[in-house]
Amino acid sequence: MTTGNFLPLDGYRVAEITVVWAGPHVTQLLGEWGAEVIRVEPTTTIQPYSRGAERIMNKTDQANIAKLGILAGGINPDTTPGADPWNRNSSFNSHSRNKKSMSCDIMTPEGREAFLRLIKKVDVLVENNVPTTIERANITYEQLKKINPKLIMLRMPAFGLSGPYKNYRAFGTHVEGMIGHHWLRGYPDGTPDETGDAFTADALAGVMGAFAVTSALIHREITGIGQQIEMPLAESFLPALGEWILDYTMNNRVADPQGNLHREHAPHSIYPTQGEDSWIAIDCATDEEFISLCIVLNAHDLLEDERFKSLDKRKLYEQELNEALAQYTQRWNNDELFHSLQSASVCAGAVHNEKKLLESPQLSARSFFEELEIKGVGTHIYPGIMTKWKHTPNQIRSSPPKLGEHNKEIYIQFLGYTEEEYNELINKGLVGTDYSEEVVPRNWI
Amino acid sequence: MRQLLEGLRVIELSNNVAGPFTGKLLAEYGANVIKIEPREGDPARHEGPYKDGIPNIETSLLFLHLNTNKKSITLNFESKNAVNIIKKFIEKTDIVIESFPPGQMENWDLSYETLAKDHENLIMASITPFGQSGPWKDYKASEIVLQALGGPLHANGSPFREPIKSGGNIAQYHAGIATAFACIAARLRIVRGGRGDHIDQAIYEAQAGFRDRRTAFTTGTSYTGHVAKRQPPGARPASGPRMTADGYANIFASGSRRFPAALDLIGRSDLKDHPDAKKQPHLFSQEFAAELEGSWMKWLISRDKKTAVAETQKIGLLGGAIYTTKDLVEDEHYKSRDVWDNIDHPVAGSADYTGRQILLSEISRKKPLHAPLLGESNNEIYAEIGFTKKDIAEMKTKEII
Repeated sequence: MTTGNFLPLDGYRVAEITVVWAGPHVTQLLGEWGAEVIRVEPTTTIQPYSRGAERIMNKTDQANIAKLGILAGGINPDTTPGADPWNRNSSFNSHSRNKKSMSCDIMTPEGREAFLRLIKKVDVLVENNVPTTIERANITYEQLKKINPKLIMLRMPAFGLSGPYKNYRAFGTHVEGMIGHHWLRGYPDGTPDETGDAFTADALAGVMGAFAVTSALIHREITGIGQQIEMPLAESFLPALGEWILDYTMNNRVADPQGNLHREHAPHSIYPTQGEDSWIAIDCATDEEFISLCIVLNAHDLLEDERFKSLDKRKLYEQELNEALAQYTQRWNNDELFHSLQSASVCAGAVHNEKKLLESPQLSARSFFEELEIKGVGTHIYPGIMTKWKHTPNQIRSSPPKLGEHNKEIYIQFLGYTEEEYNELINKGLVGTDYSEEVVPRNWI
Repeated sequence: MRQLLEGLRVIELSNNVAGPFTGKLLAEYGANVIKIEPREGDPARHEGPYKDGIPNIETSLLFLHLNTNKKSITLNFESKNAVNIIKKFIEKTDIVIESFPPGQMENWDLSYETLAKDHENLIMASITPFGQSGPWKDYKASEIVLQALGGPLHANGSPFREPIKSGGNIAQYHAGIATAFACIAARLRIVRGGRGDHIDQAIYEAQAGFRDRRTAFTTGTSYTGHVAKRQPPGARPASGPRMTADGYANIFASGSRRFPAALDLIGRSDLKDHPDAKKQPHLFSQEFAAELEGSWMKWLISRDKKTAVAETQKIGLLGGAIYTTKDLVEDEHYKSRDVWDNIDHPVAGSADYTGRQILLSEISRKKPLHAPLLGESNNEIYAEIGFTKKDIAEMKTKEII
């Protein structure tokens, strides 16, 4: 079973003009499954929230935010910015494996020329900018299809290419507010300001965008036509809340914040365990599971308690039950309790932070994590590929690209620029491997 | 114009959320998806809430939502003939989605290798909590457990209390989409001359590769040895969820290059010259933070959430209102984009459903069909694989279907 098991997207070329998280996640997935991904990124201006260049911090500040556990925005190895922090940003480097970087500012005439040459030679373009940006750059699908009629263009604005919120600027965390997820995931007895940033919208849009592009590629293989796919972050998320929305449209019931509650199960929550910020998730759907839980915890008084005799009663006295259970769970180490409960057929799992995730024996047995040595960055462990195909071994093929790393290869070999033309673009400051000091002041050194 | 996935034949031997969502996506974009249910139906049919709160296997909202555009047939998996019947279906199918415990398909002699022996273009997707291998493969799991072990749950919520899960069945929906991507990528390989494969999707691994912070956090931990932590409410002055006159909005006023414009907007132009104004929000001095936060909250509380968002969008701030399902369904933006599908169901009646995720420039969308009644297509589908009317009647008497 070796022939015919090539990576499914091998041979396709994907260009991206993406910012922040959702767009780059789509191309991450396409790249992982074989596509050649070319990241079109300017050095003449900062591409928003990509390589972290808009907020480079010195070592002390980085060390402080790392200690506070603020890691979403990206951080440099050993909290040290070095001379090129944009090539060493943890957030960027967590998604940009298997990609090439080409410096190109599409807002300049020279950049536009290079971009249009590129578009002629790619199968797919992925972008997730505010619609007005693409319109200002005059690179809408209507324009690009004249150059490449078979192009598949995925557009991922926050709210759509039409409607009152067309040009609203939003991260995943704002989008989730505007579709009801932030409200739903709050503490039932709390307020939405207790549940800060989450980027669930980016995660869902990433896999959904990869699915949409691949579906359009199949369609193109059969029919020969390309097309534009419009996939707003908001709309790609909505079906993941389908049952809650139906509860309103069918039953006129507005969902309250759910926190760790389940509609029917009890106990169903996160319980404290031994040690600082240590927790376990427990979910009992049946009497059998509840009995086994109490036996493992040695909580025989709970088994005798009339309030906890049936699922309905446990649901009714859920708060009392949770408080009583916490008295027992907090005597345990969460991993020991997790495995003891699973051995007794109770549905439970320790709450694992990233250190614990990196140590997971399950992920290790399935070779999920991969070690990459990147010049100037060091040797580190990275999250691998989230889906396994039994007869198609797959792993990260190349390291995250440094800014403009593939300029020469792309401009000269791929787009047909002469050495002179290429050097002229460098001399004009339009192509390079660095941001100028005007764009990114070196104030962290 | 043909639908994106028109012509694809899919068998769904899967229940609850993740597998059925894979099937729903394939059906939505044109595949012919046949759902084979046990005689009592997918467990999702037995899970509330129901239409009008009355339990009925045809009106579970989760089931109604997850199974639009599919056909349903029933099959008693314990019956003697079940394996042969499933094999017959699979001979004529392109993609099988299954979510039995690891080893179950093998026990039934339905392993991928067996099935693909004479059908090398077969794609089988197995969606399970922990995957087909590894020390935890037989562990039990549910949404909260998968988020706890695999996802960023530990970083959700307030540092002053227990962490909380993300909403609904997010981990399972996410894994369902990842599986749909894998199925279609495998199909694309076949179209290009390659062969099928057995896709092994662990929901846990989809969580470990979750772009909702988890991969960024893990790489950050790998780089620094520190882990992500839950941040206190209001940790960043003038940025994040705050109260408005009628609810909450989440607007990022500080921390971006548009911060000076935000100070103008709230009438605090005087703060623009303060040395802290150029710093990252978590580095603000306490005095500056207090001044700023006070003015920001005052500005917000005198406006409705949608107005606060509209006014701050005008100056280019990132933001959004925090909607309930009611706010969402009534919102003019989504209505103007026609995102709601009105679907009439023979038992549950008519209602607005969430529908498409994407709009295509070259393909107009087909009219969505309601979720099937249990066994609704038994006669039609069993006839298609060669059973006579008499056979089908007999299978019904013998309680096979």
